[in-house]
Amino acid sequence: MSDAHAHVHEAIIPWTQYAQELCDPKRVHEKPEALDDLRVLDCSSGNFAALFTSSILAEFGAEAIRIEPPAGDVARLFTPEGLKHKDTGLGYLVEARNKRHITLDLHQEEGRLLLARLARHMDVVIESELPGQMDAWGIGYRQLSILNPRLIYLAFSTNGQFGPRAAERMPDYDVTSQALSGVPYVSGEPEGQGPAESAAPTKQGNWIAWYVGGGFGALSVLAALAWRWQSGRGQFIDLTPAEAEMRLSDAGVIWYHVAQRIQERVGGLHIQVFPYTLIKTKDSYSFIAGFSDVNFQGLTNIMGHPELREPFATTKDRILKARQLHQELEKWSGELSSQEILERVQDYMLNKRGPGTVATARLNRPQDTLAESHWWDRGVFQKVDDPDYGELLLQAPPWKMSATPPRIKWACRPVGADNQFVYLRYLGLGGEDLKALRAKRVI
Amino acid sequence: MGDASLKAYFDWTRELFDRAKIFDKPEALRGIRVLELTTLVLGPTTADFLGEFGAEVVKVELPPGGDTMRYVTPEATYWKNASMGFFPENHSKYHVGIDLHSDDGKSLFKQLAAKSDIMVENFRAGTLDKWGIGYRQMREVNPRLIYVADSGFGQWGPFSQGRASYDAVAQTVSGMIGITGFPGRPPILCGIFIGDWFGGLMAATAALVALHHRNRTGEGQLIDFAQSEGLIRTLDWTWLRLGLTGRDRGPAGNRDAALVPAEIFPCRDGYVAICAARDGEFQGLCAAMGEAALAKDSKYATLEARQKPENMKTLLERIRGWAAKQARQEIEAAAVKHGFAAARVATAKDKHDDDHLRARGSVWEYEDPLYGKMMEQGPAPKLSETPARIKWAAKPVGWHNHDVFTRLLGLSPREIKGLEERKVVGHWADRNGARPPAEWDGGTRI
Repeated sequence: MSDAHAHVHEAIIPWTQYAQELCDPKRVHEKPEALDDLRVLDCSSGNFAALFTSSILAEFGAEAIRIEPPAGDVARLFTPEGLKHKDTGLGYLVEARNKRHITLDLHQEEGRLLLARLARHMDVVIESELPGQMDAWGIGYRQLSILNPRLIYLAFSTNGQFGPRAAERMPDYDVTSQALSGVPYVSGEPEGQGPAESAAPTKQGNWIAWYVGGGFGALSVLAALAWRWQSGRGQFIDLTPAEAEMRLSDAGVIWYHVAQRIQERVGGLHIQVFPYTLIKTKDSYSFIAGFSDVNFQGLTNIMGHPELREPFATTKDRILKARQLHQELEKWSGELSSQEILERVQDYMLNKRGPGTVATARLNRPQDTLAESHWWDRGVFQKVDDPDYGELLLQAPPWKMSATPPRIKWACRPVGADNQFVYLRYLGLGGEDLKALRAKRVI
Repeated sequence: MGDASLKAYFDWTRELFDRAKIFDKPEALRGIRVLELTTLVLGPTTADFLGEFGAEVVKVELPPGGDTMRYVTPEATYWKNASMGFFPENHSKYHVGIDLHSDDGKSLFKQLAAKSDIMVENFRAGTLDKWGIGYRQMREVNPRLIYVADSGFGQWGPFSQGRASYDAVAQTVSGMIGITGFPGRPPILCGIFIGDWFGGLMAATAALVALHHRNRTGEGQLIDFAQSEGLIRTLDWTWLRLGLTGRDRGPAGNRDAALVPAEIFPCRDGYVAICAARDGEFQGLCAAMGEAALAKDSKYATLEARQKPENMKTLLERIRGWAAKQARQEIEAAAVKHGFAAARVATAKDKHDDDHLRARGSVWEYEDPLYGKMMEQGPAPKLSETPARIKWAAKPVGWHNHDVFTRLLGLSPREIKGLEERKVVGHWADRNGARPPAEWDGGTRI
């Protein structure tokens, strides 16, 4: 029945070996792609939530076509300190994987007509214009769904397509969506701790709202696809990265609802579980957790400080006296390197020296993560030899799957590089037609 | 874009996405059953995101204590005997208590898996295989099963053995904490379980990809998902820059080195995030600040000029000075007027009280038969034909035993009683987090 299992010995081999053979990253290209029947048109602009959605769909085999204005998507400019590689910014080079790249000027009537014609052939259209803009141009869901009732249309914006603030003309960015999600409000050092500038609500260093938004984009397109499988009909998906990240904000709204309490910042501590915290070590910092009664018992065993169990006997004690307990932890960890702490915890866990589960990890800078063989063994990082952009180190798709694993085929394409192929394939436009469109700067 | 056409558009979207009509529409994942054997946040969110779209989620817990998340709640306080930390990732589920250490318990579980489309677990690698209810055994029972194994470090590889993992382990090993916070200050944790939640989102996405494959071929599969690897995926340009230049990334406070200007600024009554990366938006921001000349200054006129570190620094200082004199609302209003992005750093109260979020169902109000009026973060994506929804709140351990065992396995009340007496099946412990509210009438089981 299943090719994926054919090469795995069915004799009882250890689970890890079985799982590795079944999901071996080196054999990915031998296996089929789950979404190779899907066509996606991503005409978003300067929006990494949209780009991450089309990346995910393309990693799973969809034919994803990026539409850029003739000068290129402004997202190609969103790069740290202006750093570019062959005229394209680094953020974009990460999220252009497996996508074909064509140009089309949607500000011209002729460009919009071409988009509508392309959309007839598509399963998914993704955009990030201000709400109402595509509709006013005659290429919104209302119009495209008449031409193609099976179309799944995903629109990104900060405030959404409906609701009291929908008409506010707000460009969608990561930092503003992070702010609206409420996550920075509960992250960072409390007032009075250290300099005023850093004792502030703190955003995640990466574009987390955009990535969460893009993840929900892929999830909801796939849900719409499941529905289309049953009904034959497409639909309109309205998605905001701000609400997407807000959905993840733990007990925030329910706690306010039942107790009118608002979570405040606690830096490296935690108000729901403790110890679950970052501690200073001889050479760096480590995360350490042992928060339930039995796990705290395990932690105090590893520390060799069983006397800490009595003053911090219950979950509540440990949370309410977290600062004091944190000092005790640092008294111990200050004498040890992060590696020594990891070894002690692993010795306790692997040799079952006592009750409880304790988790620890050294605080990694990205360079440290890159130096660990675990991630390379698992294919988490990949050096992609791209025909246009040379060798690039990229984070690979995060899933290992036995039957239809995702994959990277190429990293990026120059602006308009696939014009000839895509316009010929879908619209039958030949060299003369493209020349005329180019002369009018439509493509 | 004319005002009239915009108004017509928003009239149409208001009707199309009307919160009041959600329950008159079908569900995208109707007929899909998810068998969940998970604890804490990563596994439960994987199932919850599928449940929001209409999958029937049967959540199996080990009685009588159940899921550890039942005891993870703000400041260790309980509401109506329930953990507030347990509600956000456990909606509309059927709660079943089975002791999986017993052979009869395993057999019951297998019978449920035989009737499920997706199974989600988050034990340490190999645990369920050892128990005889892992992927290897389940695929014999049900070749169509999509088996999602959530974990910290994956099902294989050096870190998969002997290392426990939580959300913050993933934050730590992925490098996320290493690029977050302020230079020279102690590292901070993200204030939410971001590695778990994002992981659940990624795992649910892969489950739907596998469902599409199954629709085409009839074949199930194994999905090995590690939350640390999910966060690594989100670190945007970090890895690429390291590969190209050898330059590592550290914390940069609240500013974004790629989008300039973008930062969180203190103002008179709180904090506001501002971003004006495109040149036209930047001109709007300068106009709002009363410094139109700034937009023409060659140091700031283009994004590429603003991205130069020395220019970024001086520019952000000027914006900081301006923002400090404004109120949150004044900056937000200026952004709408001048066409750049600005938004308050929202508190839980801001979100709870927001009419916009309520109208959109992103703050979701409902009445639960056991807990009464509930207010929670609602489903994020808004689908016009098959909108996601919350039906009821999380329930005590084993709450739906009778319903599930009768409906899915055809067990009689007497057989269920026998299983209870042999402690194969069970329900809640008499402790906060596991048990029903004190005011429960002893009858209602919805």
